[in-house]
Amino acid sequence: MRSRSVLVAVGVDGEGMTMNMRAHVFVPIVAGLLAMGAPLSAHHGDAAYAATPKEMKGCVVTEFSWMNPHSLIKFDYKTATGELQHWTMEIGSPPSMALLGWSRTTLRAGDVITAYVYQAKSGVAVGRTNKVILADGTVLADRDDSTPSRYGTTEAPK
Amino acid sequence: MRHALIGAMMALAAALVLSTVTAGQAARPQGAQAKSPWVYYPLDTIVGDGGPAPKRDLSGTWAGPGSTDAIPRGAAAERPSLTPLGQQVMSQRKPIGRFGPAGTNDPSARFCDPLGFPLNFIYQNRAMSVSAMPNRVVFLLQFGGFWREVWTDGRPLPAKVGGDDRDSLDPTYMGYSVGRWEDDYNFVIDTTGLDERTWVLRDGTPHSVMAHVQERWTRVDRNTMKVSMTIDDPKMFTRPFSLGTYYYRWVPNQKINEWLCVPSETLKYLQEQGDPAGSYPDAESQRPGGGGRGR
Repeated sequence: MRSRSVLVAVGVDGEGMTMNMRAHVFVPIVAGLLAMGAPLSAHHGDAAYAATPKEMKGCVVTEFSWMNPHSLIKFDYKTATGELQHWTMEIGSPPSMALLGWSRTTLRAGDVITAYVYQAKSGVAVGRTNKVILADGTVLADRDDSTPSRYGTTEAPK
Repeated sequence: MRHALIGAMMALAAALVLSTVTAGQAARPQGAQAKSPWVYYPLDTIVGDGGPAPKRDLSGTWAGPGSTDAIPRGAAAERPSLTPLGQQVMSQRKPIGRFGPAGTNDPSARFCDPLGFPLNFIYQNRAMSVSAMPNRVVFLLQFGGFWREVWTDGRPLPAKVGGDDRDSLDPTYMGYSVGRWEDDYNFVIDTTGLDERTWVLRDGTPHSVMAHVQERWTRVDRNTMKVSMTIDDPKMFTRPFSLGTYYYRWVPNQKINEWLCVPSETLKYLQEQGDPAGSYPDAESQRPGGGGRGR
């Protein structure tokens, strides 16, 4: 399996690490995040999106744009009735998502993922990301500002 | 010419930064893996206060609000009390928090226009470098790659900016700034001459060109710095108000990453995601917590 660099941003160099080692470091962070129970992913203009995420399995990534203001993941999804849908969903900006373990090389065309998406109310196949599960089981989340600190104190110095 | 100036400023900033690194500014241990000096490690946060603050010195590279959650939270901006003119201008503003990317008329969100001062320090003050020259202090901002000059040679602020008089100066996105050390640890900056196309706050709060913003930068200790800002603009506000207090922490390896608003990327985002999602300005936000950080 090719190397992913999702751990670079959490202060662990991915070179030479096994997938188990990566999961050992990364999964607790995401698991902690999910355990908070806080709604994940949010930015401006949330009213345009559904309140609960839609689960889509077997999505095939067609494009991953690591860019500002928000990165985009494009994928193909085949519905239960066999309809092929072309989806676009956003995550945060590269610097923000790097804090959560994402990187420019997290996704590549052809990757198969499970996507959890807050779909646009307009009914088009776009949405905001709740989380993505990679083929190796790695969970990558988006998040919002209500998530408590995971990186250190937020107390102001006296 | 412009590139030469930027290069010179960056080189000076780098030299000053290197000269100010001390043993007191130890980074949090992050394991035995070697790190690249070319990489910004946002989770590699500084530990402790690093000892007493150096006197009359803000130079170095700093992580601000939003760069990591390790940055202490300060105070949010107060709500302005708008004059009738301020209310009239405000009524035309469609902030992204309510209208979303598809319906907003925020020029930074739609066109990558510069946030300008003070918004670049309120909304996107995630990281920056500060460098002192003999006659000015220069702020090199991560977001947008902008810089700002604060003159310390004793000149007064310009009296006329943006007017019809021939000697009236042009408004600028970062304004005209003068600074002085009030004491060894407090650097006070006064700014005016701000381009009226910029918004003071993300909600669309307007300002006039002769708005006066005052910043008080405090070097709390070697590893911590904070800024408190107020704005006075009788044309738009019935009284001065606080734009908030923001903390900065020393970046251990003094490297921050590039973070630009690229028009072609913004256009792609709007065409393929933001606009198709639509605008629902009168609907309740579906999920709490959005909008604060502006990712």
